[in-house]
Amino acid sequence: MSNNTDVIKKTETDNSNNKSLSEEIAIEVKDLWIGYKDIQAYSIKKSLLKLKKAHVEEFQAVRGVSYTVRRGEILGIIGKNGSGKSTMLKALAGIFCADKGSIDLKGNSVSLLSIGVGFQKEITGRENILLSGMLLGFSEEEIREKMPDIIEFAELGKFIDKPVKTYSSGMYSKLAFSITAVLQTEIMLIDEVLSVGDAKFKKKSYRKMKELISNKDRTVVIVSHNEQTLLELCDRVMWMHDGEIKRIGDPKEVLEEYAEFMK
Amino acid sequence: MTRFWNDLKKYYKYEVRAAKSELKTEVANSYLNWIWWVLDPLFTMMIYYLIFGVVFKAKEEYFTTFLFIGQTMWAFFNKNVVQSVRMIKRNKSIVARVYIPKFVLLVSNMMINGFKMAISWVIVVIMMIATKVPLSSHLICFIPILLVMVLVTFAVSINLMHFGVFIEDLGNVINIAMKLLLYMTGIFYSIETRLGPDHPLIAKIILHGNPMALLITDMRNVVLYDKAPHWIWLLIWTVISLIFSIIGIKTIYKNENTYAKVI
Repeated sequence: MSNNTDVIKKTETDNSNNKSLSEEIAIEVKDLWIGYKDIQAYSIKKSLLKLKKAHVEEFQAVRGVSYTVRRGEILGIIGKNGSGKSTMLKALAGIFCADKGSIDLKGNSVSLLSIGVGFQKEITGRENILLSGMLLGFSEEEIREKMPDIIEFAELGKFIDKPVKTYSSGMYSKLAFSITAVLQTEIMLIDEVLSVGDAKFKKKSYRKMKELISNKDRTVVIVSHNEQTLLELCDRVMWMHDGEIKRIGDPKEVLEEYAEFMK
Repeated sequence: MTRFWNDLKKYYKYEVRAAKSELKTEVANSYLNWIWWVLDPLFTMMIYYLIFGVVFKAKEEYFTTFLFIGQTMWAFFNKNVVQSVRMIKRNKSIVARVYIPKFVLLVSNMMINGFKMAISWVIVVIMMIATKVPLSSHLICFIPILLVMVLVTFAVSINLMHFGVFIEDLGNVINIAMKLLLYMTGIFYSIETRLGPDHPLIAKIILHGNPMALLITDMRNVVLYDKAPHWIWLLIWTVISLIFSIIGIKTIYKNENTYAKVI
């Protein structure tokens, strides 16, 4: 495992020789604020019964965070529950809007790795690949081109032409994982490193994840609670606490400090 | 607005595919399969016929076809409007996980209802042949009337889709409103001949103020009675719908990233 980290590190140094490549910024976040206020749904009945304006809970999940990620870099985010990690990831993916500040992805394509988006149980695996892939922003041609790889990786055999409802839960997650693993974007956002299926497929999927992440052109942001994974995969680790960056820097140092703090 | 056209083009294939999958799912879930798409409008029409044709002795010419045209158009409008209120919440699994322009969900749903409506129109043609309706010289107006209806439906739905996210019980309000509107649209009576002679003012207000009443009346005039449609009013409603569609699209774009926070 540690060998692999070395490999990543080495590619990093290789990159830094080529200045134009390593200094190219892929993600630039400036003074980002994301809150959950004034946007709760209300009902007409409730507002009729309570004429006084209901008290709105104001909650800032991310408070004035700024950082940049270089192209090809792997940034890990760690922090306790509710520290704003997932909110930040969703904002990078364009699912949440920023209340203040900006996120600049420099025109790179981005996807939040989430498996089984838009799956329909009654249609076949093959059709679901198209449906899910298009939802992730790929064109039909691109998906058709990569279809054989997806099917091969998912190891579903002839089940690929059967409705997804006939799948076991393991087969379901294998297919879902394969779609996201084979259809890749320039920036990948990962909420917990995924490994699915039985022991064998778990290993295979973890390997695939690693391969995806270590690609030197791919910028990756990983949110995880697993310190070991972050130490193994990341170039830098960011520790978030109550919506702010507590520390950002070398994985080993940050993670040690974090472990100390969590005791 | 250019963003709207680009997104429409980009997601068009997804919309079609999602609509197809949804239709397939519907078929797979029932014993009589797609026969329901024929039976559902037919039975609704028969119920109306029993009550208004037999019990109340309706005297409208070609009454069954008259009813069926009204029912076909109303079903399309009603289903789209009612479903649009919960559209975002119903697709939570998608909206909370990937970025997708929200109107895509609406357009896809309109395709589903449009397909079902197309089946109804085939039945209308069969009924017209069976009841020997003479060929109208205004038959070509069928297309513009249908287009205006789609536009009116889109304008109403896209605005309701936005408010449906924030107002929890909007669905209840819309259900009641649609019931009222059903009786004010003249599905089972002719506004012009029933209301016209005794209450000319009310007939005018309903006919011109309720776009669905106008569209259904004009459609019957054009298809069954060889009369010209109210061009001016069709044009007025086209303009109104266009304005509300643009307002709706802009509101949706402005708020799309807050939806994920609310649901």
